[in-house]
Amino acid sequence: MATIVKMPKVGLSEESAIISRWHMKKGDVVKKGETLFTIETDKSAFDIEAEADGTILEIFFDEGDEVRVLTDVCIIGEHGEDITDLMPKQQDSEERPETEERKDEQLIETTDNCQDIDVLSESKQTDIESDARIKISPRAKRLAEKSGIDPRSIVGTGPQGRIIERNIINFMEKGPVFTPAALSEHQEKEERLYITSGSGIGGRVTTKDLAQIQSQVEEEIEDFEEVPLSNIRKIIARNMLESLANTAQLTIHTSFDATEVLSYREKIKNNRESSELNNITINDIILYAVSRTLMKHKSLNAHMLKDKLLIYNDVNLGVAVDTDRGLMVPTVFKANRMSLNEISEVVKGLVDDCRRGAINPDLLKGGTFTVTNLGSLGVEAFTPILNPPQVAILGVNSITYKVKPIDGDFKYYPAMGLSLTFDHRAVDGAPAARFLKELANNLENFTLLLAK
Amino acid sequence: MVYDLIVIGGGPAGYLGAIRASSEGLKTLLIESKSLGGVCLNEGCIPTKTLLNSAKIYDKARYGKRYGVIADDIILDHKAVLKRKDKAVRLLVSGVKSQLKNSNVDIAEGFGKILGKKDEGYVVKTDEDTFIGKMVLIATGSNPIVPSIPGIDEAIKQNIVLTNREILALSQIPETLVIVGGGIIGLEMASYFNSAGSKVMVIEMLDHVGGNIDREISKILMKNYEQKGIDFKLNSKVVAIDGNKVFYESDGKRFSTDAEKILISVGRKPNISELSLENIGVEVINGAAKTDETGKTNVPGVYAAGDVNGYSMLAHTAYREAEVCVNNMLGKKDVMRYHAVPSVIYTDPEVASVGETEESARSKGIEYGATSVSMRYSGRYVAENDGGDGICKVLIDKRHGKIIGVHMIGNSSSEIIYGAALMIEAEMRVRDIKELIFPHPTVSEILREAMFTL
Repeated sequence: MATIVKMPKVGLSEESAIISRWHMKKGDVVKKGETLFTIETDKSAFDIEAEADGTILEIFFDEGDEVRVLTDVCIIGEHGEDITDLMPKQQDSEERPETEERKDEQLIETTDNCQDIDVLSESKQTDIESDARIKISPRAKRLAEKSGIDPRSIVGTGPQGRIIERNIINFMEKGPVFTPAALSEHQEKEERLYITSGSGIGGRVTTKDLAQIQSQVEEEIEDFEEVPLSNIRKIIARNMLESLANTAQLTIHTSFDATEVLSYREKIKNNRESSELNNITINDIILYAVSRTLMKHKSLNAHMLKDKLLIYNDVNLGVAVDTDRGLMVPTVFKANRMSLNEISEVVKGLVDDCRRGAINPDLLKGGTFTVTNLGSLGVEAFTPILNPPQVAILGVNSITYKVKPIDGDFKYYPAMGLSLTFDHRAVDGAPAARFLKELANNLENFTLLLAK
Repeated sequence: MVYDLIVIGGGPAGYLGAIRASSEGLKTLLIESKSLGGVCLNEGCIPTKTLLNSAKIYDKARYGKRYGVIADDIILDHKAVLKRKDKAVRLLVSGVKSQLKNSNVDIAEGFGKILGKKDEGYVVKTDEDTFIGKMVLIATGSNPIVPSIPGIDEAIKQNIVLTNREILALSQIPETLVIVGGGIIGLEMASYFNSAGSKVMVIEMLDHVGGNIDREISKILMKNYEQKGIDFKLNSKVVAIDGNKVFYESDGKRFSTDAEKILISVGRKPNISELSLENIGVEVINGAAKTDETGKTNVPGVYAAGDVNGYSMLAHTAYREAEVCVNNMLGKKDVMRYHAVPSVIYTDPEVASVGETEESARSKGIEYGATSVSMRYSGRYVAENDGGDGICKVLIDKRHGKIIGVHMIGNSSSEIIYGAALMIEAEMRVRDIKELIFPHPTVSEILREAMFTL
């Protein structure tokens, strides 16, 4: 008694699977447990074993075919056994009206592979024999035969490159026709090139045309390099997108007169050895001012959660650091309790660790407010992206020169830009602006702030 | 009136282009200064073939003995040969004329010069008239190159030095003929005059004759002609002409030979100098009108076909180029392909070739395979060519297994080669050609034989 081997349902959602490899051929003797064929789904590959001893009497699908689950794939039985009853029923499609045929073809071409599989099983035994294996729907095959067209000259646009009726009609209408040499080369290519017409005799596609298209394709490819995303890049990508997608962020800009800050920094620089101070940077000064100013504007030193706001009493400052591997944001914990020199020292250590790739992961979280500085790169204003659940981030810009009227005269002064992005869900515009204004004021009068 | 198209030159490119354009509805004018049909019909392809045919018949009669045909007192009546040649030319020229008339092409006699461009189109002038054409097809052909050799001008005046034009009108067979240049024209003339009784010497600068033909075939052809009594001086350069004396250098040594007539056949150059192309700014490169693969020059609406573009300088190339030009004028997509232009030397034996030679394939870096089979594999060839040593060489591109070159020496090759050109154009592979049926017995079967040795 012959047994039918069906395409197994390997997963709950699998509608079909592709036969990626046949380990047996028609007429082979198999033992129970031997691998018959390998199938692939979207997610995995499985070997399908014979469940009975016998001879493979019939195979309905070829390698590369996509087969609907629970469809008959092959028949195993005794040699010479009559299996006529088990063969798939011939489907009489001839009587279907033309319009419906077209509709079917379209379905095949777009999504519905199952349709195709049904008709394929019918055509299996009469598949056209040739050196190049041809996938062709029975209707297309019938039309090709009727019209005296060698299907080897046609590029199929159905699933897995299968030739469908429309391809034959198109072919009859306009080609393209390949020269024999061009065709065999084209069929060897894994990826089919899209060609509308050739430069050969009667518009035939020649090997020269293929070479030209190929070189065009290669030229296009040479224009970029494929780089797999590093983990850090993937995380940055996800965080950035989520930030923009899930918050109501906006950015406001201001600038302050940096005269005092610059002269203060100069003073430290000139007296470093005697004062035993760290190499304090403008950014350190800004971090210091932020940590102090935030204490008066705690609504910005906060985390926005689903239905509540966590307002922090200490300022854990996130500091954006540019590294070879991408953006990293280590945290200066309780910056509001540190001196300027301490902040400078901690930040320097964190930056070094980040750049060396030796940062303690615990130091990459816990921030309550972030400062990011593009000023050294000449950026005059930008819109930093929030680092949720934080509700604000300060962007530090470059120094530009502005004028202001002083005693009836105009005076040039170095103006440093500040860009504050905040989450409008958590903070309104006015309080955010008030924070920015006070921050600017504190920076303009930095020595007074230090005294506090 | 404003023409859609003015064709300058009535040779193969010009007359065919005019006929094609006119039958597609373009109001067309053809301007020709001499005789319709150009060099090909009047002083090239056709007249030489009538001469060579007479020589062939004469040789067959003279050497008929080996075929069991004995004839005595065979005479080649050169005057009668010329008469017949003139008749053939007249017939064909009048045929071209009536074809042009039937296609409603207007014909103007005179030398067309391009004056410039007006709003309605290009202004072309002959001595008598001025015409305006929206488009122009330049088909002015080519002229034999006359190298500057000391003494050559005097010898031309004395009617000793001839080009292909004058030699076809020679009323008497010269006793001695020196041919400078062993290319296709030189070899064909050598062939005729040798048969007609001249003592012929061919002086060639290169180390082989026949130009770009397959080197092996070149050797076979030369051997055949040496046996017939033609003297070849390869690697030799004519350095001076003094009346009937030709001085040439070979291997650093100077030689001289007497010649009743001297034929100059060192090549041809496009006829553009008197056309005033500069008036409309047509780009000229290496003395030829520069065209792209559609026959367009750099000036919109101005096309060039035939020898004047300097590509191939063969009448059959000119035909196709003219058709490509006209198709593009009509907005039909068409491009010129030069990789399967057949070329024939109508000597006895005939040489025919198409596509890559081993030399060209090697220089292009094509990974090729070659086979060479003796023409004696063809029963018909053996039956008709006693002692023939012809070969058929086939080159394939190994990557695709397609035919890229066919080279034959042996009679009937000229009529077979188009089939090989077709195979190359169609990129047929050896396996495809094996499926073709060739008529038996014909010399063409040699191609089929060659396939089974690949």
